[in-house]
Amino acid sequence: MLQVRNLSKSFPGVRALDNVSLDVAAGSVHALMGENGAGKSTLMRIVSGLDTADTGEVRCSGRIAMIHQELMPFRDLTVAENIFMGQEPTRRFGWLDKPAMHREAQRLLEHLGMTLSPARPMRELSVAQMQTVEIAKALARRAELLIMDEPTSAISEHEVEALFKIIRDLKQCGVAIIYISHKMDEIFRTADTVTVLRDGRHVATQPAAELDEAKLIALMVGRELSHAAGTAATTMVVAASVPDAVLEVRALTKPGKFHNINFALRRGEILGVAGLMGAGRTDLAHAIFGLAPAASGEILINGQPVRIRRPADALARGIALVSEDRKEFGLVPMMSLKHNITLASLRGWLIDHRAENRVADEQIRALSIKSHDRNQSVNTLSGGNQQKVVIAKSLLTAPAILILDEPTRGIDIGAKAEIHAIIGRLARDGKAVLLISSELPELLALSDRLLVMREGILTAELDPRRATQEEILQHAMPVSGE
Amino acid sequence: MNSLKVWLSRFGLVIALVVIGATMAVVHPAFLTWPNLLNVVRQISINGILAVGVTYVLLTGGVDLSLGSLVALTGVVAASFAHPGEYPVFVPVLLGVLAGTACGAVNGLVVTKGRVAPFIVTLGMMTVARGLALVISGGRPVSNLSEEFKWIGNGPVPILILVAVAIVSWVFLANLKLGRHIYAVGGNENAARASGINVERVKLFAYTVCGSLAGLAGVVLASRITTGQPNAGAGYELDAIAAVVIGGTSLSGGVGGVGGTILGALLMGVINNGLDLLNVSPYYQAIVKGIIIVGAVWLDRRKEKS
Amino acid sequence: MKRIIALVFVLALCGCEQSGEKRITIGVTLLNLSNEFIVMIHQAMEAKAKELGVKLIINDAQRSAERQVQQVESFIAQRVDAIILNPCEVEASAPAVDKALAAGIPIVNVNSETRTAPTAFVGSRDEESGRIAMDYLAKRLNSQGNVVMMHGFMGQAAQIKRDQGAREILAKNPGLKLLADQTGEWDRAKAMSLMENWIQSLGPKIKAVFAQNDEMAMGALLALEQAKMKDKVIVAGVDAIADALQAVKAGRLDATVFQDARGQGSGAVDVAVKIVKKQPYEKQVFIPFQLVTKENLGQYLK
Repeated sequence: MLQVRNLSKSFPGVRALDNVSLDVAAGSVHALMGENGAGKSTLMRIVSGLDTADTGEVRCSGRIAMIHQELMPFRDLTVAENIFMGQEPTRRFGWLDKPAMHREAQRLLEHLGMTLSPARPMRELSVAQMQTVEIAKALARRAELLIMDEPTSAISEHEVEALFKIIRDLKQCGVAIIYISHKMDEIFRTADTVTVLRDGRHVATQPAAELDEAKLIALMVGRELSHAAGTAATTMVVAASVPDAVLEVRALTKPGKFHNINFALRRGEILGVAGLMGAGRTDLAHAIFGLAPAASGEILINGQPVRIRRPADALARGIALVSEDRKEFGLVPMMSLKHNITLASLRGWLIDHRAENRVADEQIRALSIKSHDRNQSVNTLSGGNQQKVVIAKSLLTAPAILILDEPTRGIDIGAKAEIHAIIGRLARDGKAVLLISSELPELLALSDRLLVMREGILTAELDPRRATQEEILQHAMPVSGE
Repeated sequence: MNSLKVWLSRFGLVIALVVIGATMAVVHPAFLTWPNLLNVVRQISINGILAVGVTYVLLTGGVDLSLGSLVALTGVVAASFAHPGEYPVFVPVLLGVLAGTACGAVNGLVVTKGRVAPFIVTLGMMTVARGLALVISGGRPVSNLSEEFKWIGNGPVPILILVAVAIVSWVFLANLKLGRHIYAVGGNENAARASGINVERVKLFAYTVCGSLAGLAGVVLASRITTGQPNAGAGYELDAIAAVVIGGTSLSGGVGGVGGTILGALLMGVINNGLDLLNVSPYYQAIVKGIIIVGAVWLDRRKEKS
Repeated sequence: MKRIIALVFVLALCGCEQSGEKRITIGVTLLNLSNEFIVMIHQAMEAKAKELGVKLIINDAQRSAERQVQQVESFIAQRVDAIILNPCEVEASAPAVDKALAAGIPIVNVNSETRTAPTAFVGSRDEESGRIAMDYLAKRLNSQGNVVMMHGFMGQAAQIKRDQGAREILAKNPGLKLLADQTGEWDRAKAMSLMENWIQSLGPKIKAVFAQNDEMAMGALLALEQAKMKDKVIVAGVDAIADALQAVKAGRLDATVFQDARGQGSGAVDVAVKIVKKQPYEKQVFIPFQLVTKENLGQYLK
């Protein structure tokens, strides 16, 4: 059905896919697993034609449809109109054949075991219903390969069962399914075959029946699971009040994002935060920095409760953030390197151009930002150097507390090592660092302590000197069911 | 070759201006004379002041469509206090500018606090200000103005006002923190907020300044035509925005500046003056103007691709 | 909804009045009540209506022909006795006339025309104003010399006709030469810039300026005064707006042409009432334009 041969793809500074091959048979469910950044999404984007590979080839004997994790329906159109979007049945002169559209939509929905009027507007539907409509849309297109990206992330237990039934039916009709999920039990319930990717490379393809949870985690992390590691028990971490904490967070909650977060951060300490994508780590960082304040809970700085409603408040209290999304929250792309570096630390009314040049040059040297001119536009720099610009900007605000959210994502190995060195130096200089990262080796190497988040709650505090990647993953992986 | 390209890109607009100017000088002897050049600058003074004002707003990524109506309103307000022997001349001037400032501040407040799109807010202000101008004037032009007031719009005075406005704004945008923040807000609002910039205050400031300068333009216009006309200024906002965009300021914000805006206004003024001198048929004038404006911008924007 | 309320209201009024003597009701839709000239027409109508004891329903079309048609539709629904239309546009306002005639309600056009002929027309011939102004310039120049002309918005009825009238006089006086003509868009500031540019390109060759309205004449005047050339150039405008009359009085503006708003307004009401009362009336009433100079100024100044 689908044959992928020796696919490679590089983005500036990163090798996203390295010689990956994959075969999916008709009428089978093929699970694709791997940590954040292992290359799953890139692979799927290439397979579904949204992106092109540098080398290698994709052969597919049928049509492909993808059900995205974040559904993007046309909310103001009806169910039938959504199903036939872009391939509406028409009569002469482009007149819509609405009766045919409704009849056919009704048939597809019934086939999927759903009783739903095709005339209902999309916005009235639940997420699970929208998902089913999305599948109906794929069937209307006679798709023979269906890619499902985390399809159960936003639907209830009961709805998951219904979805699995649909998957079984589709299988019987000969549809091939690529199923992407972090949830182990789902993989073992639905998948026939499992492929594991790690760091853009193909690690293993095995029948699901020959695998168990421990073996799968070992494949994803790259080592055998040590017997010392405990089971994935949920431990709510309630930090005991730390006397010399620079930053302390108490019962911080933002419904739907994170819940009852407690931790303390000391001077000169690097506190790592691990978790899968969507675990609420970035939301937590944004709440502390005031970009999207929490609904309840307390933030204390040097033992004093503070209100942080906007980033200006956070900066005034010595908190700086290096965002994981530097394009959105870090850089002003058309501005020069120099102006970006000094943007958050201009004082007084007038700009002292000489001082500004000096400060910018100092930062360019100190962080070895590779550029030919401090006046060059910042979007002409490589990803790693752009990241250093954002770090420089944050450092110039003289923060006592630095929140680094995925500081090395999407940058090359050399720059990565440099940024690691900078983080170490900052902690030695007495800054308190909150380091959010999806790269477990990075977290283990840099952190003094390590917190793990899963689905919006803190599940463990680990000692990075003894903890292993498997252990972190076990605390980070969602456990469905009981 | 490469350096030539860079040079071309930086001075594309200047080149367009020089080429058109030189052509005019060859075709019509009256063009390149002091009185005529002063004429051109005086004629662009009102559009120039408005364009400098709206540059602030466009740099933040916003837009202001109320300028033309503000010119009418502030002109009427100023003229109402400028009859001979009533008040010293600074009173009508100040009141005109203040009326503009107030309207600009309202625009800014509704955009930032009310979170209504600038296009809608200023479109609303466009009709409200026009209505206010008609109410205040009773639908009739306000005439019989004092000699002191008429002095503002004549001779070299409007030129000096434009030059002062341009220099102050240029210095402001290049050297003041608030100026830098205007660019940051237009360049990437989220990043600006995350850098501790009070985005709402910056936008409010931009709309307010724009309103003040519209007030100033209204005063100059009323003085120049010796009446406060409630129907004046129709379409002025588009001329002002055109000058700014021709001058290289991006409609999406963050890029550009006052220097370009003045060049843009000059280019439009030279074209206008040239077509009048050559007595090009009024039917063709509109066509030629449109083509030259788009052509100048097209020349200027080629730099972004190369 | 609004219309229904208005209808009920009007019906109620009619009911009351029928018990007494029957009053004639005339629906009036005006081009734009923020225009000084139209305001004067309006005032004259009210005065005439009071004198004749008829009732007027005044609507402002605010320059929108579409709104004007809607207003006439609602007059028809109210069953008014007659309609007075001050058209926004020649073509687009014509349906208003068609609808009134189809409903059997007499309709009188005031000030300007529509494509469809109404029951009666009261107004002035715009060509005449151009003729009067240009004729004045020709006489002052003894039919010898260079003239420039400022147009209104190109393509508008008033621009086309004033241009036509002026050119008739130019054709009769071969000694007069039209050096340049350009649009000032009826606008004082634009006319001022245009005059400045002409002063640069044509300079002392210009002997006279005809501006198709007074706003532009005032703009030209200001530019000439600043260039200290006013004593060598004759300027004439059209409309006799207050500002222009003051300028004539002060000896700055040479002439303007008076369009008789009062005559048009009261004439329209007069004709409408005659039609309703089935008295004889003229199908076309032309209120003459009048030249205003310093000599006869007194009768036009209020």
